[in-house]
Amino acid sequence: MATTGLGFALFGPRGERDTLASKGRLVLDYWEKWTGHEGAAMQRVVDAFNASQDRLYVRYLVTSAIHQKAMISILGGSPPDIVGLYAFNVPSYAESNAVLPLDELAARAGLRIDQYAMGMRPVMQHGGRWVATINTGGALALYWNRALFREQAEALKARGIDPERAPRTIAELDLASEVLSRTTDGSALGKGPLARAGFLHMEPGWWSWIWGYHFGGTLYDAASDRAGAGGPEVVRAFEWLQSYPQRLGIDHVEKFRSGFGPYGTPQSAFLTGEVAMVVQGPWMANLIQAFKPDLDYGVAPFPVDTPLYDPDNPMTCIDTDVLMIPRGAKNPEASMEFIAFTQRQENVEALATAHCKGSPMVEVSEQFLSKHPNRGVRLHTALASSKRAYVAPATPVWTEYKDIFDTTMQDLWKLAEPAATRLPVVQARAQKLLDDAAELRRRRGEA
Amino acid sequence: MPRRDTISGLLWSAPWLIGFVAFLLVPLSMSVYYSFTDYPLLKPPVWVGLDNYTGLLSDTRFWLVVRNTAIYSIIAIPVCTLAALAVAAMLATPGLRGRAFWTAAVFLPTLVPMMATAMVWLWLYNARYGLINNLLGVVRITGPNWLEDVAWAIPAIVLTSVWGIGQMIVVYVAAINEVPGQLYEAAMLDGMGPVRRFIHVTLPMISPAILFNVITLTIGSMQVFVMPYVLFRNERGQRAAGDFYNLMLYDNAFVYQKFGVASAMAWMQLLIVLALTGVMLLASKRLVHYRGS
Repeated sequence: MATTGLGFALFGPRGERDTLASKGRLVLDYWEKWTGHEGAAMQRVVDAFNASQDRLYVRYLVTSAIHQKAMISILGGSPPDIVGLYAFNVPSYAESNAVLPLDELAARAGLRIDQYAMGMRPVMQHGGRWVATINTGGALALYWNRALFREQAEALKARGIDPERAPRTIAELDLASEVLSRTTDGSALGKGPLARAGFLHMEPGWWSWIWGYHFGGTLYDAASDRAGAGGPEVVRAFEWLQSYPQRLGIDHVEKFRSGFGPYGTPQSAFLTGEVAMVVQGPWMANLIQAFKPDLDYGVAPFPVDTPLYDPDNPMTCIDTDVLMIPRGAKNPEASMEFIAFTQRQENVEALATAHCKGSPMVEVSEQFLSKHPNRGVRLHTALASSKRAYVAPATPVWTEYKDIFDTTMQDLWKLAEPAATRLPVVQARAQKLLDDAAELRRRRGEA
Repeated sequence: MPRRDTISGLLWSAPWLIGFVAFLLVPLSMSVYYSFTDYPLLKPPVWVGLDNYTGLLSDTRFWLVVRNTAIYSIIAIPVCTLAALAVAAMLATPGLRGRAFWTAAVFLPTLVPMMATAMVWLWLYNARYGLINNLLGVVRITGPNWLEDVAWAIPAIVLTSVWGIGQMIVVYVAAINEVPGQLYEAAMLDGMGPVRRFIHVTLPMISPAILFNVITLTIGSMQVFVMPYVLFRNERGQRAAGDFYNLMLYDNAFVYQKFGVASAMAWMQLLIVLALTGVMLLASKRLVHYRGS
């Protein structure tokens, strides 16, 4: 075993740091999650950087399950020079010292936090320090199938819903969903197999925790370090969520859902018309463009509970991709130089256009908005600056808290338990996580 | 033994000894220590005493994964053992045509990477388009929603584990072929039929192989990971009905960076496996028949 280990250390594979293209330059490894069309767009930005100067050479390396592998590489002392992660990773990475603070590096590279849209700024900072820049901005919205709304125009009008616009409140969403839902045999909803659903919280179901915010609740109060999962607004939101499988019949819904193709394929439910409205980010337009360019869709703020409706301040969850410099990166200044290049308006807008996303910056060119392939780009860009934009709770235990929520949402969706009894339990578990983390910080002298 | 021989012996075994100390003994000892600390790796470990262990005992997810893993093991071990014995008995039937083909056929699934197998099962279990439910539909049975229905999560995982019994079958076939023919002849003279011969002759004679397989199967069942990871975890999170001990251990180590908690879980698992193995070895003194003993 020792001989094998020694042999591997002496003669084993080596990282290829010096290729023909990079000859004589400092090579920077950039780990990113994007493949396919999105990866190719980022590769173009990387190529532009490599062509813009002759000192640095960035290698774009696609990494699956990047938020876990990046952490392992940092823990192992062999991190990439730049890593592209998700917004929800920022608190845990920052709290565990896995990334470098950018305050001084960014300032030297000419970046300022006020260049970014209001809603993006909380994602970029943790504990009062700047730790991440925004790679591409994402603000969640309601994607709705205009064609299906028109097809059911009379029925929608009969229920007081304007078929030419998206629902604005939860009550309108419920009515529209009911009108648009269909069973295969024409029986009443809940009595037969589903052929189409107006709206399903579980499609795609990636954001188990957002619903409470649209009823005025919150999951975490940073000032008091208290969890809010059991708050009355959150409970009401999940009771609303449970009303869908109750009305449609949980067995019918689950069987219906099991036939949806995965996201990223032409068989995904919104593209096939099996679900008429979904909560999604701007990347949805990319999928539509690739697989169903003739789909007539609209983009609107995700509805809120009626008393919360405010057309000037729509509510949205900010879910972005971020760039960070891992602790242990050998040349942080060089890494920052590349990051700063990606943050130039022309590069941000080129990447955002290719990804069908909005811009995370305050300054947005009219050309970007007018030629953008996502018909909802103006909305997505406006949402990023909304006063009521919210981000994942900025606590280092969020990953675990969210995992609890993910499991809870699935159980509540399957009507395993009433929301009113389950969510206080979730709150207690989440609070214990927060208290334990606080106690550990105290023991470490970090409190 | 002359001193020179002792030195020579130590030198020859040094590679193994160094490997054992460096890659097993030291990491094991460190993990014992870490199990009593808060250790997020990028910060130094801080002693927390028994907090990791007591914290686990009061964690609802811990008891959920213990329960799921225990139920899975209790079902999977006898099901896999009986299935492997039945197939092995058929393969060992004298005069079986195409024995080599059938043996290869049952062994082949174990050569497929677990991840690839899991992806295939993911589609086989699809409630609307999956092969299993479509075949059930042919005989007018409405198949369950295997991966979403809480009641079917563990049976679904058990079924996938039966897919990988090829290795056990090969061991059983080899053991059955070693049973002396005169024992069967004597049994036949006593008027035993094939079933009674299998129960009263074959099973006692291959009991050491059964013990070996049951112990390895127990260890494997307690550590089940890939199948539930692929079948019951996606962008929507982990489904509670398909949450298992090693998934929680993995999450603590590599997702939450709680290496102290993960180490505590690993040691608790080791102690449970050791206890179960001890019980089986004790029971084997009465139940396992070693030839010549």
